[in-house]
Amino acid sequence: MAISLEQMVSLAGIAGEVMLKNGAETYRIEATMDHMAKACGASKVESFVIPTGVFLTVTDEVGRTLTVMRRVRNRTINLDRISKVNELSRRLVAQRIEYEDAKRILEGISKERTGFSLLPSMLASGAIGGGTAVLQNALFFEIAAAFTAAMIVRYIAHLVSKLRGVQFTFEFLGGMAVALCGVLLHSLWPHLRPDAVIIGGIMPLVPGVAITNAIRDVIAGDLLSGLSRGLEAALTSVAVAMGVVIVLSFKV
Amino acid sequence: MLALKIMAVLLISVSVGILYRIPRRLLIYVSFVGVVAWLIMYNTMRLGGSGILADFLASVAVGIMSEILARVLKKPATIFIIPGFIPLVPGGDAYMTMLYMVEGHYVDGVAKGMQTILTAGAIAFGIFVSSTIFQLIKNYNLESRWQDVRKS
Repeated sequence: MAISLEQMVSLAGIAGEVMLKNGAETYRIEATMDHMAKACGASKVESFVIPTGVFLTVTDEVGRTLTVMRRVRNRTINLDRISKVNELSRRLVAQRIEYEDAKRILEGISKERTGFSLLPSMLASGAIGGGTAVLQNALFFEIAAAFTAAMIVRYIAHLVSKLRGVQFTFEFLGGMAVALCGVLLHSLWPHLRPDAVIIGGIMPLVPGVAITNAIRDVIAGDLLSGLSRGLEAALTSVAVAMGVVIVLSFKV
Repeated sequence: MLALKIMAVLLISVSVGILYRIPRRLLIYVSFVGVVAWLIMYNTMRLGGSGILADFLASVAVGIMSEILARVLKKPATIFIIPGFIPLVPGGDAYMTMLYMVEGHYVDGVAKGMQTILTAGAIAFGIFVSSTIFQLIKNYNLESRWQDVRKS
């Protein structure tokens, strides 16, 4: 069964869009789109991905060419989806799956709710904060406060994403909330230090995906994406630091 | 005390995995990467190495383990790298920088800030180095395979 040019382009385009939306590296998105389109019978594929959009040009055996562009606005982090699209692309290349099934699975991946709901992610965030406080040799109540602060951070993330806040709002507000928790604890019980609470609380705000992708994009030679993701990581860190600094300077 | 800290690192790595929504059955590998990397950092510091060296060695280990796991399990390496390096992040240094700056000790603040940036850079370059090594190995294998084809 022959797959039409439009179908190839739409399949590879959706795959690229899903991967970019969920935080994959640039070269992985480009390679996945190339592989998927070639597995469907394209003779030539050119792809170009930047952190805010996907461009794809496919040529079929007859020599017809089609280009699509997909703009990606709201990006989240969901490594599960990336790994699923990766798996799907491998199966498609190995010819273990038909076009219709691939398309259906891909649309399922882009719509399904994966991962954990609010409470488990709050607990996970709290565990990051509490664990970091343990590494700082904190006292028991400081660890508990760090756990709470990190949980609040996750709740703020939930609120901000619901209200479609601009970028860096969440990091700034998170830093402020954490510092407030630390300062509040110190003023209520002066023998407890705010240090471990704040250090633990800002840990879930570390832009892990941005840092990793920036490094890996630069290694792969995607300098444009590498630079912009590096800048994203730097600005995120600055937003967190400013949130903390502003609250701390009230205290002094 | 060390056992408690290892438990904490394990918890951090798994929680980062949950927060970034990595596939659930990979959480066990992720926690392994995190604990090994943190132990390397801890022991380097205990033997008198600087924080920068310790973080560099640990993040090279994160990179190598992640690339191997990625090839064995056929998953993106990013999944293993992120939870592996989060316990290494110099949060304490970053906090001290902010505190010095707020209190007006700018000289101390800049010194501490420089240390924080260099430590973070060491983590980034550790991952950079190990990923580059794997890229070179892959290119070498491709090259030799290509030469075999040409000979035959």
